[in-house]
Amino acid sequence: MGKVLNIQPVTRIEGHARIAVHLDDAGNVENAYMSLMSLRGFEKFIEGRPAEEVPRIVNRICGICPWMHHTAGNKAVDGCFGVTPTETGQKLRELLQVMAHINDKILHFFFLAAPDFVLGPDADYSVRNVIGVVKAAPELATQVVKMRQLGQMMIDRFAGKAIHPVAAVVGGFSKPLPEAERQAMLRDTRTLLDFSLYALDFAKNNVFSKYLGAINQLGVITTGFLGTVDPADGSLRLFDGRQRLMKADGSYVDFDGADYLDYLGEHVEPWGYGKMPYARSWNEGFSLDLDAPKGIYRANTLARINVCDKISTPHAQAALEEFRAAFGRPAQATLLYHYARLIELIYACERTMELLNWDGITDTDVRAKVEPKAGRGVGIVEAPRGTLIHDYHTDADGCIASANLIVGTTHNIGPMNMSVKQAATSLIKDGHYDQGILNKVEMAVRAYDP
Amino acid sequence: MSGEKIRLNTEWLCDCGGCHVALVDLHEKILNVLDSVTIQHCPVLTDIKDYPEADIGILTGSIRTEHDRHAAGEMRKKCKTIIAFGTCAVYGGLHGAGLAHSREEIVDRVYRHNPTTRTDTVPDSEVTELAKLVTPVDEVIDVDLYLPGCPPHAHFIFESLATLIEQRAPRVTQDTVCARCNRQMVKSEVNAIKKSLDGVPDDNICFLSQGYICLGSVTLDRCLAPCPNHGVACTGCAGPTMQILTEPNRDIRTEVSDRMSRLTAIDGETIKTHMERTAKTQYAYAMATKMIGNKPTFLIKKWIADVEAGAHG
Repeated sequence: MGKVLNIQPVTRIEGHARIAVHLDDAGNVENAYMSLMSLRGFEKFIEGRPAEEVPRIVNRICGICPWMHHTAGNKAVDGCFGVTPTETGQKLRELLQVMAHINDKILHFFFLAAPDFVLGPDADYSVRNVIGVVKAAPELATQVVKMRQLGQMMIDRFAGKAIHPVAAVVGGFSKPLPEAERQAMLRDTRTLLDFSLYALDFAKNNVFSKYLGAINQLGVITTGFLGTVDPADGSLRLFDGRQRLMKADGSYVDFDGADYLDYLGEHVEPWGYGKMPYARSWNEGFSLDLDAPKGIYRANTLARINVCDKISTPHAQAALEEFRAAFGRPAQATLLYHYARLIELIYACERTMELLNWDGITDTDVRAKVEPKAGRGVGIVEAPRGTLIHDYHTDADGCIASANLIVGTTHNIGPMNMSVKQAATSLIKDGHYDQGILNKVEMAVRAYDP
Repeated sequence: MSGEKIRLNTEWLCDCGGCHVALVDLHEKILNVLDSVTIQHCPVLTDIKDYPEADIGILTGSIRTEHDRHAAGEMRKKCKTIIAFGTCAVYGGLHGAGLAHSREEIVDRVYRHNPTTRTDTVPDSEVTELAKLVTPVDEVIDVDLYLPGCPPHAHFIFESLATLIEQRAPRVTQDTVCARCNRQMVKSEVNAIKKSLDGVPDDNICFLSQGYICLGSVTLDRCLAPCPNHGVACTGCAGPTMQILTEPNRDIRTEVSDRMSRLTAIDGETIKTHMERTAKTQYAYAMATKMIGNKPTFLIKKWIADVEAGAHG
């Protein structure tokens, strides 16, 4: 009689998930699933609410990346009401969204993922955590805590609330950026940029080189990728641009966000609450078969680094070139998500500096006039965990008539299932497994930062 | 018990994860906390998957599934003191809107009638079923302490943890958000309710005086008033004040309409009716708690039905 190994909850991730590994009589992996255990139903909750209130309600979809929902929601309502935000208002939204990327990447890499690399995947589970890192590498840990604080406080000071923000509004932003605040942000961002360059060096020397074997094996699958690029030069974009859907062979199509329904679909399986997006436009259906997946693409850092032609900021571009020389394009190894995350950390710091150095950023014309009306708007930003799509319809009173949301993490639910199955199958043989092996299966999920 | 560390378990139920980020965001203070606290079960930070015996248990999120109910029960068994942490745990939170929509409606919208799914499959194996309603934590287990906020500000989190570590009474007040708001209340001649997108509000004057609905005066301060101090009216995310919760004939709309009508030239009934028509927004964070839901004057399902009948009729 076979048995089921349950890993529940999957830990050091940002959501509620469980892994079930089904073993056959001989103790080999028959199947493995990762499923999301929670459903709230925001697509229903926001119906009937005044659309202008929705951007601060949808924040609560995710307390890790509320700025992403906040800005995507505002863009979608702009679209419904046919309003073009003022240039400064739009740039302030981008500034905060990109700053939030900085903090998110520090949180994920150092607080959640680093214990596996600093202490080792087989370290005793009771100390394999950020507290263990504090003991093993106190200077690094103190530095990380300070950097996270610097990033969050920058947002807190200017925008009032870092978690569940309110400061972006339909038509732009609720307040202008004072010059003194701009100077303080520039100073702090410079510190964060130095730290991000140090972080990539640290990871190259202490993580990626040391764990190259694992990188080439653990959770490796072959898929397509989705990200956002600058329409003019194909460079990496986090706040706006065109969506680029790349096949595993590197060929791609670019499309306008408003047309996403022509390119993407969502597949539902009875064993998890998470919907699984797939590339409908490839006309091959949906399959998680490891050898012949159908319709499967990935999102999040590795995807964005793969789909972009270049990065518009110098330090991040240099890091991208080095990455591509080592791993090719598109790179498929799942643990490279961490590497790509640190490249994006550098980009986010550099982009923040660019925005702060833009002359108009302290302009007081932050908000365009808005009239509620019936319409449709699709708001897309790149959230840390993937392309975030908010699609709203409003009625004549300006209330939400219907909404469709594709949340960043969900793009990777199918791929995470494949990586879990790949990792479990290659690591668990003839009934042999231990907590170190099961942790490695979790590491295949953790790389995606769900 | 000097020298012995306080043992802490945390668990997230149905929530967004923001309360756990708020815990991490004690920043350098978290390093102080770690001197006196051993973090055990804490899914976002540690790999301890069972529930060890603990002195303090922090529960975030509300009860949506059988899994949530089970986890809350395990935490209660193993932790001496349970803190309902964050607005979801205390009042049900935003997804308490499960009160306004049945689980069937929600599932139908998310999976069946959805422009990207185009399927009839609904998750029903390996997942724990949705409960009929979303409920606050204290409807399934006994809770010792409550710390609402969406999320609670670090100031209150640190004070509450310090209180427990030092075994002293907490230094917290029951002030409203207005207590920390820098705006001035003035009597105005404004005669119509404004939507939040109408014009640009004056930064120095109370939102109510200017004709904007603001829930600051009926909301407990667990945030230090960041929204009204940054140009945006309060939407009540930390939940209602004790007065609203305990007095049967007062609630959010009666108090706001009374106060706003005295500050403006807008009739109280007009304000009350407006708030009923937008009840899903005005009661967004606390509709799932019986302390609001059981009030004889709270008729949210009727208000929503009236609006929908109006919209379709």
